[in-house]
Order: sequence, then C-alpha cells, then structure tokens
Amino acid sequence: MVETGIPKLDEFLGGGIPDGKSLVYYIQPGVEGEVFGLQTVYTSLKSAKTVVYVASSTSPDNIKGQFAQFGWDIDIFKDRFFFVDAYNSLIRAPSKEKYVVSNPENIEDLSKIIIDMMKELPPSTIVFGSLSTVLDLCGEKETVEAIRNWNKYAILHDHTAIYNFTAWPYSQETLDSIKKELFNAVIAVGGIADRVIFGQYYWILKSDWIKESRKSMLKSDWTKDSRKSMLFRVSRPGGITLFIPKILITGAFFAGKSTFLHALSTQTVSIDRIGTTIAIERCHVEYKGFSADIFGTSGQERFTPIIKLLSGESMGVFLILDSSNPQDFIHTKEMLQITKSYGLPYIVIANKQDLQEALTPEEIRKHLDLGKDIPVVPAVAKDKIGIFEAFEILIDKITGGI
Amino acid sequence: MNDYTFGIKELDNAIDGLTKGKNIMLIGPPMSGKEIILYNVMYYGAATNENGIIMVTTREPATHILDWFKEHNLDLPMSRIGIVDCVTKTLGSNEVENDNIKITNSPVDLTGIGVKISQFLDEFYMKKNIRKNQLHINSLSTLLMYSNIQTVFRFLHVFTGRIKGAGALGIFILESGMHDDKDINTLKQLFDGIIEIKSENDRNFIRVIGLSQKPTPWFQYEIEGSNIKMGE
Repeated sequence: MVETGIPKLDEFLGGGIPDGKSLVYYIQPGVEGEVFGLQTVYTSLKSAKTVVYVASSTSPDNIKGQFAQFGWDIDIFKDRFFFVDAYNSLIRAPSKEKYVVSNPENIEDLSKIIIDMMKELPPSTIVFGSLSTVLDLCGEKETVEAIRNWNKYAILHDHTAIYNFTAWPYSQETLDSIKKELFNAVIAVGGIADRVIFGQYYWILKSDWIKESRKSMLKSDWTKDSRKSMLFRVSRPGGITLFIPKILITGAFFAGKSTFLHALSTQTVSIDRIGTTIAIERCHVEYKGFSADIFGTSGQERFTPIIKLLSGESMGVFLILDSSNPQDFIHTKEMLQITKSYGLPYIVIANKQDLQEALTPEEIRKHLDLGKDIPVVPAVAKDKIGIFEAFEILIDKITGGI
Repeated sequence: MNDYTFGIKELDNAIDGLTKGKNIMLIGPPMSGKEIILYNVMYYGAATNENGIIMVTTREPATHILDWFKEHNLDLPMSRIGIVDCVTKTLGSNEVENDNIKITNSPVDLTGIGVKISQFLDEFYMKKNIRKNQLHINSLSTLLMYSNIQTVFRFLHVFTGRIKGAGALGIFILESGMHDDKDINTLKQLFDGIIEIKSENDRNFIRVIGLSQKPTPWFQYEIEGSNIKMGE
C-alpha cells in the first residue's frame, strides 16, 4: 500500500493506493496540482519504498529544488530514489541520472526506459511528473496506448503508478479515457473560479478498490454525484494543507441574517444591540462532511466597507432578503453589485416566505434582474426551512469544477 | 469605450480605446522594437492606468526586465507588477521568487506557467482589489520552439478564455517570419485583434487590425531609448 500523504485522501482511499494499482491526479489548468505527485513521492520515500520520478517538463535537478522548497529532504533517500530523465535530451543537455530517455518525443523510447526500469526495480512507487507533457510531445493516441502498457507492467511487477495530468483541452476521447478508463483511481484537483481562480480543492472522482460500504459512507448524499471536496492550500514549506473556507452572508436590514446563521450553526458569535447585529458575527458549520466559517455583517449601509473587506477573503456569498419587503431590494441590489465585483459565487435566499405578502422566488428574480444561473432559494429561517438546502447549493456552486 | 489603452496616442485614437476581455497578438519581424513597444504598454498600463500587469518572459530573466525600466528611469509601481520568469531556471541560476517574480521550470512547463499566471491574477484581483489586469506574453515564438502548435494552442485557448472571463487585456508577442503561415493562422483564431509591425527600407511601421471597423493606417515609428516616436 502506498500512502499519498495528502491530508484526508489516504483515509478516503481506505489507507492509500494498493500495490499494482494506478492513480491519476486530474488537474485543472492553472491550479497548483503537481505538488500532489511530489507529496506522494516524499511520503512514499519516508515509508521506506523505492520511488521513481519521471521528469518530462523540467530537469531532475529542478525537481530536487522543488522538494527543497517544500522542506522535504530527499538526499537521505538517494539510494532508493531514481529519476527517469525525459527532459534533458529535449534541450540537448547532459544527464547524470540512471534512466535517461534519448528522445522524449518518441513514445517508444520513453516506453522502453519505463518498462526496463519496471522490470529491474523491486515493487516501487512510480510518479509521472507531467503526463500532459508526454501527451504534448508524443501524441495523444500514442500516449494513451503507452499508459495502458505501463499500467499492465505495474500490475505484473507490483509497482504503484501515479500520474500528474493537467487537463488542457485535449480531445474529448483522450480526456474521457483518462477520467474513466485508464486508471484505477482518479483524483480531480480543481479551482474555485469565476473571474479568477481563488481557491483549490480535490475530490475522488473514481476509485475501484474502495469497498462499497466505505464508498457509501464517503458519498456525499447532498449532490447528484458522489462528490466530497476538500479545500486545500499549498504552503512552502509544508506542502498541501486543508483549510476551512470563509463564506459571507449579507443582506438588507432585518432580512434575517442572524436568524439564518443561528439556524445553520451550533457555534455562533455575534455582537448584538437591541436585537440587530451592529458589527460582525461568525458561525461555524459542519454539515454532511463539509466545514465552513460563515461571516455576516449588519445590513445597514454604513457597514458596506466591512462587506467589501470580507468579500475579498470569501469563497462564496449568501445574499439574504426579506421576500415581503421589496423596498429594501434596492439596497440588496447594491450589495449584489459589490459581491459581483469580486466575482464570487453567490446565491440569493428569499427569506420570510411564510409571510402573506412575500414575493415568490421568480418574482424576486425579476426584481433583481438575476440570470437563470443564480439560484433563488425560498426559505423561512426562523423555522429552519430552506436553510440547509441553501448551504448545499452554495457549496455545490463553489466546488462545481472539472 | 476606454477600458484599456496602449498608451500610444496615435493607436489609441485610431481604435477609440479597448473594451475589457480583449486578446491581441503583437506580430512583427525581429529587431523591430516589439519588446520596447510591449514595455511601453506595460509601463503605461501600470503607472498611468493603475492596472495590474502580469508579464510572462520566455526570452530574458525577470531581473533584466526590471533593470531595463530602472536604466530608463521609468518608475514602475511594483505592487502592480508580476513577472513569470521562464528563463532563469534554464540558465541554472538559483534566483529565488519574490513578490514580483515567480519562476517556472522552463518554457516547456506550460502547466507551471499557467499556475503562476493564475496566482498573480488571484493576487491582483482578489487580494489587491485591482480590477483591470493585463497579461503580456513575450513571446509565443519561444513557446513554439519548445512545444508544438497544438500544445501552445491548447494553452492559449485556456488563457485567452481566462482573459475574457476576468475582463482583462492580453497581449502576446509573435515573431513574424519564423513560423508557418498555417500555424500563425491557427493561433490567430484565438485573438480579437492584431498589432502588426512591418519593416521596409530600414523604417518601421505599425497598425492595428480587428479592433476597429477597419484596420488603422500604418504609422511609421522609431525607437529612441525607451520611447516610441510616432511619425505620420
């Protein structure tokens, strides 16, 4: 069994990756995902495994430098850490590695070195640093065929094959093969993006060795598919660490923000005066395996600067309004503009739907001129109606990625 | 509408400004001053328009670019400058990253280049609240020396899309006379406009295509130090 060393991932995979199995980190372009392979290498070295790193997009020396940046001392493992150098020949530079590919643009040359190495070494962890570079250099069809072959040899010799793959817009056939067919497990590594990528997460797209019972336990039953996202940051030194996202709730005066927060959480801190929030409040939510800190501030206009400040650090926004009070929609619209300007994913909560004069979500959509892609969730916060649905929808919007 | 300007009056007037989300190819022969034109756009964007500038350099180390501005007494607002350096590591230098410079493995490592661009965009847009950002790549020709046209196309397909999504401005240098026309035409599909340069009888001319109803006239120009002196 090979442990990846990625927080929580080994737990989700039932302890790690069994010998002979293959796994791909399927990375959205622009997301810092190659560290997944590096962290797996280092964890594997620490657990006394023999490890091979296939360097295609840069030299082995640069890769060694990357380990150093993360604070991972690999020199002490040099007797059982090898490189397949599939880079230096590209730039006509000499290589001092044991395994050197003379023509990295020829899949047969690369395959021969990989297979010879697999035959020669004891059961090892083999990490391909950039499968996308191999595809770029050798062609999509040729590489897909080669991967099939490498994975067969891995099974035969009890190696564990791990691939970093950046999902550039290759042909759909290639992307489907990588996502669905070629590997025993696929870990999607994505970015929370609207105008820019401002958060990163991973989830298990596929894993064929997790027992059904465990799979159902892991399955997040709140979404159509079985997604469980973990948000992460990359630290130097340190590598991948998980973190709890910050979500902002905002809305006009007396729209029901505090009631919503209290309904959603078990831990709330707020600064109240005469029944309304005068500064800021915070609650922590643990729901169906997903954690978030939610920050809210008063709906009064003088607190708009605080909303701006919090927006800059949030990953998503609840915009809550009193469905029975259309006069306040103008201020709500202004808040919407602030939120939009940060490019954050947001949803609108149409609160107080129990009141007779409440407008329907569709009427509110028209008032606020919202596109069909913005969910308007009916809710009665005081009775906890629609609260958790809203949370699920926003989290899904935040993590809806690859 | 003037969401962005080049800072070259004749060109800005001729196209009546640039709207958000435009991707522009800057194409011209070697030694025609493309780099200096790009540095001028960079300086004007950062110092006058207060935009964030992300420069991807595949031709010279980031420190050389910053030195160029210093040598010409152009005071760049450094909080708005991010350089993705694809050269330093290939020279075997141990230069370390700082707030303004992120270093990638090599021009082959398009994945790494993409990550660094995204990091600067996130930093400018979300953390520094800079709403207008410019991405400059100098140059696509170097990327094409290390990767094939399909690979570079895929990379650009993603990042020209991000430019549009972020309402930013992208300017990408390409050397003319170095690539097949077929390759250039393939890449052109990704761009909204072209800044075209030609050299005739030791004189340089520039025009803009695709960003106004019809191509602008050819303007003659000369490079004097750090300045672009426009003629008729």
